[in-house]
Amino acid sequence: MNSVKKYLSSVDISSIASLISAVDHVSALNVSFDKSASISFLRNFTIEGIEPYIKYHLYMSDIKPNIVFGNYNTVHQEVLDGNSHLYSSPADVIVLSLMLEQLDAECRAPNWSAGKTKEQILQLFDLVASKSSALIIVNTFIPPFYSNLGIASSSLLSGGEEITELNESIRDYVKGHSGQFFLADWERFIRITGEGKGIDYRYWYMSKAPFKKDFLNLYALEIVKIVKALKGYVKKCLVLDCDNVLWGGIIGEDELNGINLDKNDYPGRAYYDFQMSVLHLVERGVSVVLCSKNNEEDVWNVLDHHPCSLIKRSHLSGWRINWDNKVDNLISLANELNLGIDSFVFIDDDPSEYELVKRYLPEITVLQVPTNLYTYPQLLFREGLFDALNISTEDKQRSVMYQAEAQRRQEKSRFENLEEYLASTELSAVIHLARDHEIGRVAQLTQKTNQFNLTTRRYSERDIRDFCSDPAWAVYSLTAKDKFGDYGLTGVLIARHEGEEGIIDTLLLSCRILGRRFEISLVEHCFRDLEDKWNIKRWKAEYIPTKKNQQVANFWNSVGSKQVEEINGTRSYFMERGGLKSENTDFIKVIGD
Amino acid sequence: MEKRVKEVMSKIFNVDVNKIGDDASPDTIEDWDSLHHMNLILALEDEFKVVFSDEQINEMLNFKLILIVLRELLESKCSKQK
Repeated sequence: MNSVKKYLSSVDISSIASLISAVDHVSALNVSFDKSASISFLRNFTIEGIEPYIKYHLYMSDIKPNIVFGNYNTVHQEVLDGNSHLYSSPADVIVLSLMLEQLDAECRAPNWSAGKTKEQILQLFDLVASKSSALIIVNTFIPPFYSNLGIASSSLLSGGEEITELNESIRDYVKGHSGQFFLADWERFIRITGEGKGIDYRYWYMSKAPFKKDFLNLYALEIVKIVKALKGYVKKCLVLDCDNVLWGGIIGEDELNGINLDKNDYPGRAYYDFQMSVLHLVERGVSVVLCSKNNEEDVWNVLDHHPCSLIKRSHLSGWRINWDNKVDNLISLANELNLGIDSFVFIDDDPSEYELVKRYLPEITVLQVPTNLYTYPQLLFREGLFDALNISTEDKQRSVMYQAEAQRRQEKSRFENLEEYLASTELSAVIHLARDHEIGRVAQLTQKTNQFNLTTRRYSERDIRDFCSDPAWAVYSLTAKDKFGDYGLTGVLIARHEGEEGIIDTLLLSCRILGRRFEISLVEHCFRDLEDKWNIKRWKAEYIPTKKNQQVANFWNSVGSKQVEEINGTRSYFMERGGLKSENTDFIKVIGD
Repeated sequence: MEKRVKEVMSKIFNVDVNKIGDDASPDTIEDWDSLHHMNLILALEDEFKVVFSDEQINEMLNFKLILIVLRELLESKCSKQK
């Protein structure tokens, strides 16, 4: 797979011929991809030109694309026709791609009002949502570039206000349906490309194909970001070198006043703005760590005392500031943070360092500080590496929690016996059926959790909502706490039953609370609850292996289930009612409904 | 120039460049539909750094006609530069 990625990175995608032939070449190769994604377009204009761009970015991410275009301008028919492509091969993602000019040819008329069209569009959104549980990506519209009033206009948009207001209603709709609806904001894309590189008026009039390649590429990239987040490809940790990464120059040589980090001068301002980008990621819940070859006190000197260092020690979830090799340091950081090493993004300026990391840890995303330093501040946002489907309050608190984790680790070393230690940390868990406000977080955990996840089934908010309202299903949430702080909603168990047989569909714990036996409390509580409620005679469970969940391969054995078969690594288990046997969890205080 | 045009066609239509004859047209190349035609035009514009007008696009219906339009365009571009 790495060879595919390497090949594609060498392709010049600004040449349409190279792009198309590269994508054709990869699809003809007999290689297997980690995942696949199906995308259906419902559209009212010619958008097929986007296909090679989507395929290119998906292949780059190790995802096999399956893209279907609905018929030209038959959106309503396809949604309502039970035999259309939407239902014959259900998609992961539906892209509802609409041009205002096609919905209402009068939309550029003087005194046009958006009211009727707005109603029509929002009704269409409701309709698609009612017919499909796929994620739905909708777009905003492009306001006019020039004012109808010419230079006599006093406002920026004269004549376009109706369209920008319509866009606001679309954004509000997406905000209000955040589990299922996502935005491809054309108004933002056109700001990036400009009219000249975004719109092909010639093909718009000739073939109803209005977009040039720069626009198509941005649109494709946005769709792919959403697909990647849905498929669980989310980076969680940013690893930074220090010299010539967080600031310009070498702190060990140039000293505090000599390094480039400044609000006014270039290149100091580029580093300052880069730190600002990092701060936004901390805010989003990304863990930021340092891995650099420096004297530790030099680095703290900058973070603690430099007037323009936005990154402070308190923002960091960990660090390895020493002269050891970075590969070992990265592995030990991954262990310390309980994160998969493939969720790391590593930034370095030294070619020998990032080549070394690329070579020995190919699953890490490695970024080089760009030679054109003025492009550096936006580096982390362009590709959406850290984009998750939603940002929950837990995410925002996470960096705070990792800090508490550092303290916890210190205490751990004071105790010999694990149970004694755990008991001293005053663990408690609140376990109950997932409540309405928890559904977003539950869905997010199913999408993001890789290590302690027995079946790795990814669900959307919509799926979870459906399970919650189905009497044959039960979705439990676990909210954990200890004396060091709150972990938030960090455990999920989803079960269903067929008659007297209970089936564990999903069991997962966030990596933040591993090693404390919360999983046993969760299973115990849910079994007890459901055995009476559903009159369960026996339980059925399974373990589905992935690259990352080996640590739970023997979980069901360890709690007293009998393995009945193993097919392609997937193990199936049975357990009689009341058959749960497990390690002691008396030290966890469980609070039910 | 003929070779460069054929190479672009080979990439867009995903056929071996040796199989594209001088008689190449939508009748001889299975994939040559209106969408592929659009990609072909955009790719030729990339390759030769030109922009075709809507009328020219409508004329460029097979390999020979593509060459005629392209030559015309490149000559006028050349003479303008002089």
